Amino acid sequence: MSVRAHIAYWPLAWKVPLLAAGLLIGAAFIISQIVLNRLEADQENNLRLLTSAYLDGLSAAVLPSAIRADVWEAFDALDRARDHYAGLKVRFAIVALPNGKVLAASDPAEFPVQSVVPPDVDRRFPTEDGLTIDTASGRAWLARSLREESYSVGRILAEIDISELLRVRRQVLLTLVAVNAGLALGFAAIGSLALRRMLKPLSVLSSYMERVRAGRADPIPESKRQGISREFDLIFDRFNAMARALNEREELASRLANQDKYAVLGKLASGMAHEVNNPLGGLFNAVDTLRRHGDDRQAREATLNLLERGLTHIRKVVRSTLVTYRREAAERSLRPVDIDDLRLLVEPEALRKRVQFDWVNDLHDAVPVAVDGVRQVILNLLINACAATPAEGTVHLRARATERALIVEVGDQGPGLPDDLAKYLVGLADEAPRVGGGLGLWIVRRLVADQDGEIRLTQESGLSTLIRVTWPFYPDVSRLDSTQNVVRVEAIHAE
Amino acid sequence: MLPKSPRWRDERKAGVGRRDVLAGLAATTLVWPTSSMGAGEAVSIGLNPLFLDSDIQLLALLQTYLAERLGRPVQLLKRRTYQEITALLLSGQLDAAWICDDPYVQHEDQLALLAVPLYRHEPLYQTYVIVNEGSKAQSFDEVRGTVHAFSDPDSTSGFLVTRYLLALRHTTPAQFFRTSFFTYGHRNVVRAVATGLAESGSMDGYVWDVMRAREPELIDKTRVVYTSEKLGFPPIVGLKSASDPALAKAISDAFIDMPTHPIGRQILAILDLDGFTKADPDLYRGTLEKWLLVEAQA
Repeated sequence: MSVRAHIAYWPLAWKVPLLAAGLLIGAAFIISQIVLNRLEADQENNLRLLTSAYLDGLSAAVLPSAIRADVWEAFDALDRARDHYAGLKVRFAIVALPNGKVLAASDPAEFPVQSVVPPDVDRRFPTEDGLTIDTASGRAWLARSLREESYSVGRILAEIDISELLRVRRQVLLTLVAVNAGLALGFAAIGSLALRRMLKPLSVLSSYMERVRAGRADPIPESKRQGISREFDLIFDRFNAMARALNEREELASRLANQDKYAVLGKLASGMAHEVNNPLGGLFNAVDTLRRHGDDRQAREATLNLLERGLTHIRKVVRSTLVTYRREAAERSLRPVDIDDLRLLVEPEALRKRVQFDWVNDLHDAVPVAVDGVRQVILNLLINACAATPAEGTVHLRARATERALIVEVGDQGPGLPDDLAKYLVGLADEAPRVGGGLGLWIVRRLVADQDGEIRLTQESGLSTLIRVTWPFYPDVSRLDSTQNVVRVEAIHAE
Repeated sequence: MLPKSPRWRDERKAGVGRRDVLAGLAATTLVWPTSSMGAGEAVSIGLNPLFLDSDIQLLALLQTYLAERLGRPVQLLKRRTYQEITALLLSGQLDAAWICDDPYVQHEDQLALLAVPLYRHEPLYQTYVIVNEGSKAQSFDEVRGTVHAFSDPDSTSGFLVTRYLLALRHTTPAQFFRTSFFTYGHRNVVRAVATGLAESGSMDGYVWDVMRAREPELIDKTRVVYTSEKLGFPPIVGLKSASDPALAKAISDAFIDMPTHPIGRQILAILDLDGFTKADPDLYRGTLEKWLLVEAQA
């Protein structure tokens, strides 16, 4: 995911306050720059005014002494000016004669009388009258010519300490940064809280949508709708209407599923009755034979054997039915015989339709899957396959186990699954199949999904439809009831 | 000139305050027309910058005291240089003046001694040659080649004595010093030397001693390398040809009686003087000799 996409995925409750804070910081930066520039210009202007006033006063005081080259008067003027200009921190001031020598300086120890102004000091000052500012060193240098009737009688050179101005500038900058950062954070926090509050109905809606995904379409109660905005009120109304529609559809589907179950049961009962009825004629004949030839040992034995086989067959049929429809606790493992048993249940239907079985059960040991669900799914698929396969056709069943799953394939030679049914079965469509169009498949999908299994449709030569169902083993058989296993559903639909 | 100092201010508070002085000035002006002296003009007294540079309070005290003693308004005049005061006195524009001993000996024939200050109980003082505390010079000869600060061209201690010492060495300030300048005040000499503007200076020993107690932070930056012999203290003088001898005597008495008056004692305390006395012109022979030698060489 690109950074842009990543940011786009951030929740609104973050993005909006961050955006607001970002805009505020941007605005604060621009305002700070303007304030600082203005402050700098004002400070420089004030400095120029102050230094100009200082030089005006000083040059007036010093001029006569410069004309007379009066050392003491020049020094006294410099010394007195030191205390007269509060706000101007003069580091040193020099009255230099036209020959470049010092007449007097405020710091005579550094610039002795009659000494030459050091070149490294002299070059810091502007050559003409004016002010040079160096913020890096926190110094400013002033120069003013002393003139009498257009004759130069000397220059005043002064070095000013402007570190205080720079300190004020730094302080203003720090204050601006601190205030703006505080405002940005404050607005971001307030914005975040306000937005969270505004978006709270969205999280309510989201949680109820999540319930729908989990299979429960609960309407949002009135208690959760207090104090929400008009927009969310409308959305909640629409959601509740949708939830009601979903619940009605679920109820209808459930009813249809039951009907389908009864239909399957009817078919099974009919088949079972046929299975029981078939040997019954023989059994009654056997009873009659016993009555008439019971004394004949040979005949009696043969008849009793016949009776036993018939009853055994009936018992098998009954037992298989009981196993399939018992409402006891789920079996924790599926044995090979649990699959083979199913053949007994569908065989009457197969016989009725004159359909053959290609029955390959490669299971050798019990596997950890839910027996009830698996048997019900295979039974439904087999019944559907028998129904779809024309007379003299073949229904295929293959069961095998891998290291981690049970795989059962049921195939038929019918006209193939309608597209909508196929999509529904493999989970590509959520629309329930039409009534009569395969309610058995609706149950199949539900049961497979319950057990975290997957359904695939594939194609094999000689078969129009091959449905492969995979049930993952429970990692621990003792946790069969757990629903924490990974669901893996994929589908390939044969055209 | 004497410096401002906490002690100075304390003394003012302890004695006569500003309000008293102003009241005194007002009273002087009011009582003057009925005073015994009866003259209409104010008495003009000149003060050279030896003592009084800027201290308005001392000036006001002196004015109050003299006005009270003389019974007339008093006008105290102060100028930047000694020469200006001397010129005013000699031209008859002043009734009296407190001048340096150098101008006195120059114009001794025209000037009458009215009173001489008593410093440490004698009418004498000394010249000091000082250097910056960081200087290596230990004697007068070692200040050769320095930037030197003089006090005033008409000052004995601030110029004449040093010129005399140089005359004895057959040299001049321009030859002996790298450069020199006048500060027109003994305290300014201390400031110039203490700040390093000058490396050495010539000044009044009395002022240096008084400043040592009152401005030790400034004085501690200087060191005395030469002390002259004692010379006659700068006197209060009047013109011998004064038209009003009674006024001259009254001025003389006023100074000499200063220790007997509360304001007078206050003034003496500020000046750190014991009083004033009458003196003979012979007191200034030492000064005269030096001036004559220097003039002869010039």
